[in-house]
Amino acid sequence: MKARLFLLQAAAPVLAIGFGMLISSIIILAIGRNPLEVFGVMVRFSLTRTDSLFSILFKSTPLILAGLAVAMSFRVNLFNIGVEGQYYMGAFAAAFVGFTLRGLPAGIHLPLALLAAMAGGMLWGLVPILLKIRRGAHEVITTIMMNYIASALILYLIADVFRDPAQAGTPRVRTPDVAAAARIPSLAPVFNRLGFTGSDVQKLNALLLIGLALCIVLAYVLARTRFGYEVRAVAANPGAAEAAGIANRRVEFWMFMLSAAIAGLIGLNDILGFFGYLDIDFPKGLGFLGISIALLARNNPLGVILAALLFGFLDRGAQGVQFFARIPKETIVIMQAIIILAIVVAYELMTRYIRMQRKREAEGTPTVSPPAMAPAP
Amino acid sequence: MDGEAFIELHGITKHFPGVTANDQVDLTVRTGEIHAIVGENGAGKSTLMRILYGLYQPDAGTITVKGRPATIDGPRAALAHGIGMVHQHFMLIPVFTVAENVILGNEPTTGIGRLRLREAEAEIAELCRRHGFALDPAAKVEALSVGEQQRVEIIKVLYRGAELLILDEPTAVLVPQEVDELFANLRRLKEQGKTIIFISHKLDEVLEISDRITVLRRGRVVGTVEAAATTKPQLAEMMVGRPVLLELAHPPVSRGEARLEARAVTVATGVGRRRHPVRHVSLSVHAGEIYGIAGVEGNGQTELVEALVGLRPIVTGQLLIEGRDVTQQSARAIRLMGVAHIPEDRHRRGLALPMAVWENMILGHHYRDDFVNGLLVDRPAVDRFVAQRVRDYDIRVADTDAPALALSGGNQQKVIVAREFSFAPRVLVAAQPTRGLDIGATEFVQRQLLAARAGGMAVLLVSAWLEEVLSLADRIGVMYGGELVAEFERGQVSAAELGLYMTGTKRGAGVPA
Amino acid sequence: METLTSLLSLALIASAVRVTMPILLTALGAVYSERSGVVNIGLEGIMIMGTFFGAVGNYAFAQAFPQTVANAPDLAPLAGVLAAVAAGVAFGLIHALVTVTFRVNQIISGVALNLLAAGLARFLNILLFTQATQSPGVRGFTPIDIPVLKDVAVLGPLARGISPMIVVALILVALSQWILLRTKFGLRLRAVGEYPLAADTLGVSVTRMRYAGVLLSGALAGMAGSYLAIEQAHLYFEGMTQGRGFIALAAMIFGNWWPVGALGASALFGYFDALSLRLVRLPVPSQFITVLPHIVTILVLAGFVRRAQMPAADGVPYSKEEE
Repeated sequence: MKARLFLLQAAAPVLAIGFGMLISSIIILAIGRNPLEVFGVMVRFSLTRTDSLFSILFKSTPLILAGLAVAMSFRVNLFNIGVEGQYYMGAFAAAFVGFTLRGLPAGIHLPLALLAAMAGGMLWGLVPILLKIRRGAHEVITTIMMNYIASALILYLIADVFRDPAQAGTPRVRTPDVAAAARIPSLAPVFNRLGFTGSDVQKLNALLLIGLALCIVLAYVLARTRFGYEVRAVAANPGAAEAAGIANRRVEFWMFMLSAAIAGLIGLNDILGFFGYLDIDFPKGLGFLGISIALLARNNPLGVILAALLFGFLDRGAQGVQFFARIPKETIVIMQAIIILAIVVAYELMTRYIRMQRKREAEGTPTVSPPAMAPAP
Repeated sequence: MDGEAFIELHGITKHFPGVTANDQVDLTVRTGEIHAIVGENGAGKSTLMRILYGLYQPDAGTITVKGRPATIDGPRAALAHGIGMVHQHFMLIPVFTVAENVILGNEPTTGIGRLRLREAEAEIAELCRRHGFALDPAAKVEALSVGEQQRVEIIKVLYRGAELLILDEPTAVLVPQEVDELFANLRRLKEQGKTIIFISHKLDEVLEISDRITVLRRGRVVGTVEAAATTKPQLAEMMVGRPVLLELAHPPVSRGEARLEARAVTVATGVGRRRHPVRHVSLSVHAGEIYGIAGVEGNGQTELVEALVGLRPIVTGQLLIEGRDVTQQSARAIRLMGVAHIPEDRHRRGLALPMAVWENMILGHHYRDDFVNGLLVDRPAVDRFVAQRVRDYDIRVADTDAPALALSGGNQQKVIVAREFSFAPRVLVAAQPTRGLDIGATEFVQRQLLAARAGGMAVLLVSAWLEEVLSLADRIGVMYGGELVAEFERGQVSAAELGLYMTGTKRGAGVPA
Repeated sequence: METLTSLLSLALIASAVRVTMPILLTALGAVYSERSGVVNIGLEGIMIMGTFFGAVGNYAFAQAFPQTVANAPDLAPLAGVLAAVAAGVAFGLIHALVTVTFRVNQIISGVALNLLAAGLARFLNILLFTQATQSPGVRGFTPIDIPVLKDVAVLGPLARGISPMIVVALILVALSQWILLRTKFGLRLRAVGEYPLAADTLGVSVTRMRYAGVLLSGALAGMAGSYLAIEQAHLYFEGMTQGRGFIALAAMIFGNWWPVGALGASALFGYFDALSLRLVRLPVPSQFITVLPHIVTILVLAGFVRRAQMPAADGVPYSKEEE
């Protein structure tokens, strides 16, 4: 029974991905191209070139963090759609600490920047969660509004307040460079030793390790600790959790803050990792990809790693497809969206099927034989 | 009463995953009679009626209406045959008016779809007059009393021309006086040629109102008898298949100190905190006794219980546990003082169904040092605890890692009882503890309550089932309209008299305000 | 900054009316959806599809039938509106299928729809116009004058030279209020959003009513998007909806789930939206002005959510065997 359940649970994402590929194939056919050729290009480009593999790892790094951030809030049935805005604010906070403070050793400056990023995210998440807890305001809409406000704020801060004077006269709109001590170390030295070189290797940085570590630690915390137990109880049945003496609101608040804190780290891959400054054209939309990843991973921190790698693979593949097969990379974006829709349907149907199976078992069991024992209380 | 058959069911069978709800059921209901269908929870009464009303389709068997075979594939088809269902849980939309609720699904309209509300209201008013119901068609349903809402349900089916009315546990939410009114209405309907099927597990009422009685057990028909020719014990035995102890042994009370005291407790809810579901309730429960609160559901019992266990804030008044003021304390703090709670809705408050059985077994105790090792949950200790409880309480579970929804209702309640009785609680608050359980499980829970009492626990029992309160409690309080309107010692009051207090007809003198 | 009169200037109000339209139409759609019990976060995505197909439908029709368009110039924008409505219904169909038939969480489905819409818009734009973010320009409807009111001097800018879609929208609001309160369809729709089980036992199809509510919301949101593209901006560009689909949800809540209430609430948001376009001379940075409506939305949700009386079964998937 357990083995069968496990197989079922693994089947759902596979089916969803298959469905996504099917729809994409139809679209590709509709524009007069061969889907097999396209997928072939995608796989070859992504998996057979070493620079692609490193690029996938680099691209997956923020995705891991984004998926983890969203998953943490989803775990307590809160929809933190504001991951997008939270990472903007975290990115700025880290950049600010990076380019404002000078002369600090790396051992202090980098952690400070990381903390600033988390604090920035948490600050931005504070308003929606407090409004939800105190006033019942639905966090979906408030977080989305905060995204727009963050976008405007960041634009203002980068373009008007902290614009790098050294860039005056150029079309580049960005903050000053972050101090070298605040940069996240690249993982290149390790891989260079193994014989891998190139710009993609150079880009890969330790934030990946931080992301992986966070996933593993949080998976453990959720499964084994008392706090994790309370999180699961609140998600499974808030009424019963409350009756059991669990402080629901406190659990929800801290999970949301955790979500926002992790979100703050998302942008660091580029700012403290690769570029070293916050540009007005910094990567956007990662928050929404995070939602997709969390859904695909069913909010499981370890599943997030796999889902993030998948999306990194798709992203890289889309580049290859655009360059070599001359098909717009948006085809892949659509595939991602279809996968999401398919996967939530698949998961829902599967959960319902399993629940029915369990109930079927339950009905068969009797409650009592003639007078049950009553122990002394 | 010798009328021709209105409905004939032959060989009706219905399967659900894991259970056969109806097994080769044969039933004949004669025109103009009041025919009762009795059985305990899970006997298949509701399923059978849902088949008759078209909400379910039988897997096998036939239905004949007035001599002709009928396929009833939905409520509309049932109504077309003159069959109408009056649901146990009212299917009424609170924010709609009586008229809007009655016409929904059968709306009189003009050509473009505009509702003919005024005509509908007039027609409904006429129907009410004819059958002696007192209802205002323009009133909002949320403003009506329970008895009035039930009348709206009946008018709904009469409006659609029902000749046969199915009433599913109609007296579950009524007090004795309202039951009398309902029965008067039913008799009047019978005089006008209507046929009535009356589903119940309350044998007194069934014997009072019906002409014939069919008993179901485990999906099968045990037999059909004339009401005049049978007795309560006989029916009960047909229902469960063995002689049932309708009374449990109740040794004299040995009362200790007051463990739970409520002093003028008031609870406020709603917008602007203007509603007071509990008003100035004072009571005390002593060690070694069962204090039973009787009352129709909806008179503040739910809110009172929640206030007493710390799940609802107390606006004025005091709550004391073993002499200590805990009025503003959290649910966790109150639990830690040794207050156990069997919630009235085990699916909403008692268990986290998607979580494993072992996880549910420590819910509420999960922060104890016994189960926690630093920050981590101590699985071996938990597993030992769970195994012992499963043994002690004979909980039928194949795998404690399986989710709690894999347990039957009775076993789920056992998990809750096992859990709440652990760690020697000083006070037990049990709300509707036997609701939805079959006879075996009910007996089990009631024995546990008596055992707790014998062991010196202070037990507060809140139950809408009057017989249960009368049989278990040492002292009985009655809640009506949010207030504790009367208090009696065991044996000092009859069911009928309690009914008067439960409807506010009488008020106890000298009840502390 | 000018005085109070400038805050109420006729030009500003006229501008506010125009700007309110997209929010109003989407909020109206949201009312239908949520009254039937389905939350539709995806209305933003549907609006995006509406902006895209509104512009593209307009453009394509004008390209394909230049003679016809020369004679009856309003046919092109009409084609755009119809295309947008069709796209809205199609997307609404996806949402209904996923949330009503498969009973997936409505928020998640809405979020996924928004992702799909964004991706699809880019993709189709590239396919048709070789670049991702903008369409060619299109012509709007011929502006009309409201009879009788146009001669009242004081109401000048409000009654003269306005888009016919504004008139249509206001008629739709009044019509919707009547439909919900006084027709069989409205009664059933509301019943299904309050207590679907009760409606089901009376033979009302919960599925059918919810599909109707969601498809209507899609149609109206699509229409809203087409207004934005055809009448306001006269083209499609990426991101032009600026979160108005979400603001519309706030307007619906603020309007207590009634069409007339949504009108009042949308007008409030529209006013701030219009104000933000005119306050450019303030020392406050322009970026903040653009998010004024978003800030107001948060304030609304924070301040007024409690008093709202939402449909009792809103957001809860319905299934028969749930006992």
